[in-house]
Amino acid sequence: MTTPDRRAFLKRMAMAAAAGSAASLMPGIVFGREVAELTERGQELTWRKTPCRFCGVGCGLLVAIQDGRAVAVRGDPDSSVNRGLACVKGYHSVQALYGQDRITRAQIRRDGRLVDVPIDEALDVVAERLRQTVDEYGKDSVAMYGSGQWTIPDGYVASKLFKGGLGTNNLEANARLCMASAVTGFLSTFGLDEPMGCYEDIDNADVFVLWGNNMAEMHPVLFSRMLEQRGQRPHVQIVDLATRTTRTSYAATRSILFTPQSDLAVANAICHEIVRNGWVDRDFVDNHVAFKRGKTDIGFGLSDDFRFVDEASDATWEDYIDFLSDYTPERAANISGVAASDIRWLASIYGDPSLRVTSFWCVGVNQHTRGTWMNNLIYNIHLLVGKIATPGNSPFSLTGQPSACGTVGEVGTLTHKLPHGVVTNPEDRQLAAEIWGVPVENIPSAPTHHTMSMFRAMDRGEIRFMWIQVTNPMVTLPDLNRYREGAEKDGRFIVVSDVYPTPTTEVADVVLPAALWIEREGMFGNSERRTQHFDKMLDPPGDAMSDTWQIIEVARRLGYGDLFPWDEESHIEGIWTEYTRFHDNPGHRMAPLSLLKERPGVMWPFVDGEETKWRFNTALDPAADEERGAFDFYGKPDHRAWIWLRPYEAPPEWPDEEYPFWLDTGRVLEHWHTGSMTRRIPTLHQAVPHAYVEVHPADAEALGIRDGETARLVSRRGSVELQARIDYRGRPPRGKVFVPFFDDSILINELTLDAYCPISAQPDYKKCAVRVERIRS
Amino acid sequence: MKPDEGRFGELLDHHFSDALHHGPPARVIGIGAATTLMVALVLMIGSLLTREAREPEHPPPLRLDVAEQPMTFESGVFRLSSTELGVAPAALGDSAAHARTLEMYRRIRAYPGAPPRVSHGLTDEEFRTNRCNVCHLRGGYVARFGTYAPVAPHPEFGSCLQCHAVADTLVGIPLPAAGTVESCRQCHVDPDAAAPMFVAHDWVSTEWPGVGRRAMPESPPWIPHDAQLRSNCLACHSGPGAVREIRTDHPERANCMQCHLFAPEDDGEGDVR
Repeated sequence: MTTPDRRAFLKRMAMAAAAGSAASLMPGIVFGREVAELTERGQELTWRKTPCRFCGVGCGLLVAIQDGRAVAVRGDPDSSVNRGLACVKGYHSVQALYGQDRITRAQIRRDGRLVDVPIDEALDVVAERLRQTVDEYGKDSVAMYGSGQWTIPDGYVASKLFKGGLGTNNLEANARLCMASAVTGFLSTFGLDEPMGCYEDIDNADVFVLWGNNMAEMHPVLFSRMLEQRGQRPHVQIVDLATRTTRTSYAATRSILFTPQSDLAVANAICHEIVRNGWVDRDFVDNHVAFKRGKTDIGFGLSDDFRFVDEASDATWEDYIDFLSDYTPERAANISGVAASDIRWLASIYGDPSLRVTSFWCVGVNQHTRGTWMNNLIYNIHLLVGKIATPGNSPFSLTGQPSACGTVGEVGTLTHKLPHGVVTNPEDRQLAAEIWGVPVENIPSAPTHHTMSMFRAMDRGEIRFMWIQVTNPMVTLPDLNRYREGAEKDGRFIVVSDVYPTPTTEVADVVLPAALWIEREGMFGNSERRTQHFDKMLDPPGDAMSDTWQIIEVARRLGYGDLFPWDEESHIEGIWTEYTRFHDNPGHRMAPLSLLKERPGVMWPFVDGEETKWRFNTALDPAADEERGAFDFYGKPDHRAWIWLRPYEAPPEWPDEEYPFWLDTGRVLEHWHTGSMTRRIPTLHQAVPHAYVEVHPADAEALGIRDGETARLVSRRGSVELQARIDYRGRPPRGKVFVPFFDDSILINELTLDAYCPISAQPDYKKCAVRVERIRS
Repeated sequence: MKPDEGRFGELLDHHFSDALHHGPPARVIGIGAATTLMVALVLMIGSLLTREAREPEHPPPLRLDVAEQPMTFESGVFRLSSTELGVAPAALGDSAAHARTLEMYRRIRAYPGAPPRVSHGLTDEEFRTNRCNVCHLRGGYVARFGTYAPVAPHPEFGSCLQCHAVADTLVGIPLPAAGTVESCRQCHVDPDAAAPMFVAHDWVSTEWPGVGRRAMPESPPWIPHDAQLRSNCLACHSGPGAVREIRTDHPERANCMQCHLFAPEDDGEGDVR
């Protein structure tokens, strides 16, 4: 830019001042081209608040809008989540709007090729094919697969159309792949979804125990808040309990590695030591805890006809002591590789009444064939010592997507859920029918397919029509070859709403151009029960429209216009007003839209103008009954939290002679999930341009593989070739490799196993067996 | 822009900059850049061939013994707090080869106010461990790069790579054993090594705020940006690691906002702060 000289600048200042004064006196009058341009330019740039588009931390951002484009970003200093800080994805997030291959026109596949069509024509086709499929194959032959990146209105109208209108529970979201075990963990232990604490726990905890959670890369702003606390309060400790060494490990006070799946044994051994040393908070346990036993040897969901329902039976303190006797630190050490002394030390941390302890976890615990159990076991530890629901004492399940909690957990965009409650509960169905204005008989009382089951049903031909929004399953599904082949079979009709071409649009019959993030109005709900609203700040390109409005357009074509009476200008307000009726109680009341527009976010339950920061604490939670003492776990009928007797069980597949390595998959700081947005951000793409495999130096040496060389990974399901990196971003232990999944040219999920937790139906992406081969040039 | 057009540029920052700033059409950029690249390569090769003769332009790496060869302009740069502000006068701090300039300052940022990308090589260990503050907490001369480390304005945040991206081509650069050539490779990477753009891009940022703007002739210039994460003015505006064009000549006067006010938001300039 040309910097004006002083004279010119003063002249412009004077003209601007004059123009401003004149304009205030005579609005609408133009006072000459130069002045008009200057004043116009001064009005063009505005900073608007929004939650970040990417992870579940929910950082508040301010986006600068100029000339109808997003031009800059900064962390919102008024957001209590991030207090002005962001991460490399957030700072560069607006660049994701401007890749030249944005999908701007609707497309229909004709003669094998996707061709541009007017969007009305595409919406007509979607509605017509949906109706035809229902007529020919029944209502459970159509399905919708959404996302934890759906806004709350997206998920709400999807639920209303499919469950209330079409009358099928074939509605799922990709959060099944990332946080379903957290949900079933919450429900089985507390009877209510989502954390009892909030991010202020970080400001109050003395020790952070990270269970399989590389927060330095996956939840970077929260990790920075922890580091800041350790800087200000030097006694603060960060313990990294993980299966590979990462940036988090290096920054942690103490790094402890364990063998995949063995966290079950470690957690029970910690409880064993807490009991053995008399560190149990007897008063808390006696008054607020019940003991339960569930089924064991519960399988892995590998076959299409797998079915499982857990059953809770009462147990006693003595039963629990007897159960724990199997988990001495020495036995757990044999299973996990963690030194018995480290297990005792961890127990002493949790058991020390003078220390406030917060445990964090995310997909390391949730993407686990015993994910629900692991959630239960971490809660067990906190419940035994009474370190819960008070500032700094918090078992805290983090989410990976911006609205996994808001849209999937709270709106209930899963087969068994409703915006309030579950489809199996007649009262919940009745409430939904009343609010939606549909006969209660419209809402089926039985869940149909969870995500893995849904894609298996499509492979088998039971599901014939699927509408996929804001997610990329042809990269993210485990054992991907099977499900891609299923989607490509004759007689399947796939609709994909997205912003860029992906491997999922490659299997689509219709592609609908979607508005991205701040190109439409919406809300996200983050990990700490915080709802965050963002306005439409930009016009979407071409024919792109919001996912919400796409669903409404199709619903109207199907004859469900009465269920969606809102106009395009005010539909978000109308949806929010209707949706919040589902949660109009002290345990989940949401803030009014006017307040959401005003603040960077508001936590629920929002009661009498106050956010609830620590649920179940009778001094802080208006839904809790003070007569029950300091705590009231009101999610359960007995008003107690449940300690579950959950054993260690081995995974379905582990390294052997033919496939001697564990394969772990995950993310990197710079890329968001499948990279469809972040790979289009130049700085982020250049930082990690392609996927790689992390190999331990000794393993690499034994295989004859040098840093940067290409290696081949082979599992029982597929193989990929990719660059080997040794002591790069992280270091796996010997016998294990790690591959990020963001690169759609290296589909690591062609190798992963589609085993899942039988309770949550969440797949385990963290462990299967592979071999590593050197590729000789 | 075609993918391959993102590969030009000798200096590491050029790997990114073409897609990040607005300006002439991509073809013009490409032609200009190709010319620049050729000239730069010729100069670099010439520089390397005649290195011994031109040695004084490059401070000799890894030969600096601070105890025996005190550098006068280092005086005070290791002190940061508001009560320890003894930074040296700016003019003495220039390193002939690697003084920071406003052009470079802007080139490594996606937009005004964006966190800068890491502009030098990192060893694998540095990349993993995030220990940037070893150099950037207090600044000072870094023989490995032949220049002065800029001081981080927010050293309280320890997870630096959370915000400051580093190109893959700059990761895994081993420390130089000896000699200037290896030292060059700490930052000057093979331009062909950079990955091409994933797809072409239409990103356009806003203009940078002007430097030296003020309310009246001779009055103290305004602060043209916000102070979020940049409230320690001296970190960027004083000492030999500071950008030359915005370096203050009176760092001993530490209460900056006593005289320098934030630029008014309706001044028609520098909207992004």
